[in-house]
Amino acid sequence: MVAPSATLSTLNRADGSASYQCPSTGSNILGSVNAPVELPGRRDALKPEDATIEVFVKPGTAPAGVGERYVEGIIKTLLGRVILGREKGYPRRGVVITLAVIGGESVGRGDPYLVLLPALLHTALLALLSASVPLSMTFSATVLAVDASGQIRREPSAEDAATAQSVHVLAFSSKGHLLLNESQGSFDFDTWEKVRQRASAICHGTQLVSADGDVAMVEDVDGRPLEGTLRETVEDQVYRDYNWKINAA
Amino acid sequence: MASPAPPAPPPALTLPPSQFARLQPHAYLLAHLSPPASSNQLSIRANGRAPSQFRPTSANTGSLTHTNGSAVVRVGDTTAVCGVRAELLPTTDIASWSVSHASASSSSSSSSSSPAAPKSNSSSNSADAEESQIQDLNLLVPNLSLSTGCAPGFVPGAPPSALAQSLSYQILALLHSTRLVRAEDLRVWYEGPSFTGEEGGRMDVDVDVDAEGERDENSAATKKEIKAFWVLYIDIMIVSLAGNPFDAAWAAVLAALRDTKLPRAWWDVDNEMVVCSDVVSEARKLTLRGLPVASSFCVFEADAAAGWRAVIVPDADEEREIEDTAKRGMLRRWILADPDGYEEGLSQERVCLVVDKEVVGGEGKTVIVKMEKNGGWAVDSRELKQLLDVAAARWESLKQILEQC
Repeated sequence: MVAPSATLSTLNRADGSASYQCPSTGSNILGSVNAPVELPGRRDALKPEDATIEVFVKPGTAPAGVGERYVEGIIKTLLGRVILGREKGYPRRGVVITLAVIGGESVGRGDPYLVLLPALLHTALLALLSASVPLSMTFSATVLAVDASGQIRREPSAEDAATAQSVHVLAFSSKGHLLLNESQGSFDFDTWEKVRQRASAICHGTQLVSADGDVAMVEDVDGRPLEGTLRETVEDQVYRDYNWKINAA
Repeated sequence: MASPAPPAPPPALTLPPSQFARLQPHAYLLAHLSPPASSNQLSIRANGRAPSQFRPTSANTGSLTHTNGSAVVRVGDTTAVCGVRAELLPTTDIASWSVSHASASSSSSSSSSSPAAPKSNSSSNSADAEESQIQDLNLLVPNLSLSTGCAPGFVPGAPPSALAQSLSYQILALLHSTRLVRAEDLRVWYEGPSFTGEEGGRMDVDVDVDAEGERDENSAATKKEIKAFWVLYIDIMIVSLAGNPFDAAWAAVLAALRDTKLPRAWWDVDNEMVVCSDVVSEARKLTLRGLPVASSFCVFEADAAAGWRAVIVPDADEEREIEDTAKRGMLRRWILADPDGYEEGLSQERVCLVVDKEVVGGEGKTVIVKMEKNGGWAVDSRELKQLLDVAAARWESLKQILEQC
C-alpha cells in the first residue's frame, strides 16, 4: 500500500492551499482556501452568527455538473461541523474552498464520486490548516470497496469500484467520531460493521476494543494510519516554516 | 375611603404557539420533545408525530396522460410529481456503437463465467453482461425541478439550485447502483429472417445465459441485433416542499417507473426505421429489480445554546456518558424520522437509508442499497442499526401504498 502524499501551501496567492496525491485510487487534487473573505450579496437573514462555507469542485476535463454539486454538498455539510465559524472575524464572512481534480480518472455522468471523496476531503482539510482556519477537530477519511466474495479492498481504483458490490466512504474525526458515511451498492449491516472497523483501523491505526478488553493493533496490515500521515505532513510544513526561528534559538 | 380594588395583574406577555415557534424555533421543538416530568406528557414532535413516525404518504399513478408512466406522491405536505417519457435512440445515432458493440458481442458469449462481470442480486434471475449499457449510453435521464414555487426560499423560474442538482444526481446514482431498470427492457431487437427454418426464438425468450451455448449457432444464423434503445426521461417536479424532498422524489420515481409502459417497437426492414405499435394491449410494463425505499432522518440536539455559543465537541468517551444519561431518561438528542421543513432547519446531521428486502430461503432479508450519514457525530453504528429497523418497517408500509395505487 503506497501511502498518500501531500504538500501544503503550494499556491502563493491563496490564503491556504494543499495538493494531495493518492496513488492507489489515482487521484491528484489541488485545493485552495480563502478565509475569511467578504462575500457579495450576503443575506444577513441566513445565519448571521456563523461563517458561510462555499465549496467548489472542479473536475479535470469537463465543466462541473450535477455530480460535483452533490459532492460539494457533502463536503460543505461535513466541514460545517468542523470549521469554527463563530470565531472572531468569521461570522458573516465566507470560507471559500476550491478543489480542482488535476489528475486521475475523470468521473463520468452518474458515476459514483465516492472514490475521489476521501482525497477531496483530505485536500480540503490540509488547505484549511494551511490557511489557519480555526477547526474544532481534524478528520481522516477512506474509501473501501467490498467485492462479491465479501473481500474488503482498501482505496480501490475507479474500475475496481465499478465492479465492486458496494463502495463505502467513511470519515472519522480525530476524537473518534464517525463523521461521514456514504455507502452505495447492496450490502447488509454486518458487512458494514466490518467495513467500519477496517476503516477505523485505517484512519486511526487501532481497532475497536473488543469484548475482552483487547486492543488489536493492525498497523502491519494497513501501514501507517492516515491520521498520522496527515499530521506529519502538517508538522513537516510547520517545521519548514519556522526553520529560521528554530535554528536561531 | 373604600379600599382600592386589588390591582389587576399586569397582562402577561403571551404569545400564541405559532409565534413562539417562529421566534424560538429551537426552544419550541425542545419543549415538545422533552416536556417537564411533572406534566406527564409524552415526548412528541412539534408536528404531533412520534420521533420515528413518518408522515402519512399517498401515491397516485397514471395521472399524466402524455407520459409513458407518471405518479404523484405526497408525503405530508411534500408533493412530488414524476413523469417518465420514453424516446427511441437508434443505434445509428450512437457514435461509438459499431465499435463498442462489435467488441461487446464477441465478449458476451464468454462473459458468463468471467469474474469481471458484476454479479447481480440473487433475486434477479439473469446476470446481464451488458447491463452497463444503461450507464454507458445514459439511457436514464432523471431531472428534478425545485423552481416551481414549492417553498418560499425557491424562486419560481430560477435556474436549478444546488439542492435540485444534487438531488437529481442522487436519483441518477441510485438508479444506477440499484440497477432498478433492466437494460433488456430498453432494447429494441431485430431478428433477421431465419433461413435455417428452425422455429426461431422470440426476442424475449433467449435472455438466459445457460442456453447460450446451444443457441450460439442459431443466433449466428438468425443475426439478432439491437436496433434501438428506449431512453427514459424521468422528470420530477417538487410541487410543494415541506422538508425531506429526497424520500418523496424517490418514491415518485419508483411509482412512476412501476407504472411505465413501453409500446411494442420493432425494426421495419422496408422503411429502415423503428416503428411502434399504438395498440395499448401490446405495450409492456418494465420489470423492475426490487423495490428500494428511501427513508431519511435528522438529528435534533438539545443544546439550547447551540445558536450562539462556540462549538464544543464531546470526546468519544464523553459520548458514552451522554448515552448513559440517555439511558436514565435524560435525552439530549433525538433522531427524527422524515423531518419536515421546520425540523430540517433546526438540525445539521442527516441520515438517509435506502433499503430493499429480498426473500432468501423463505424469509425476508433487509438489504441496504445506500446509507448516508453526514453533518454530525451523533449517529454511529448502534444508532444506524436501530434506524435500519425503522427503515425496514417503512419499506413494508410504502410497499403497500405503492401496490395499492
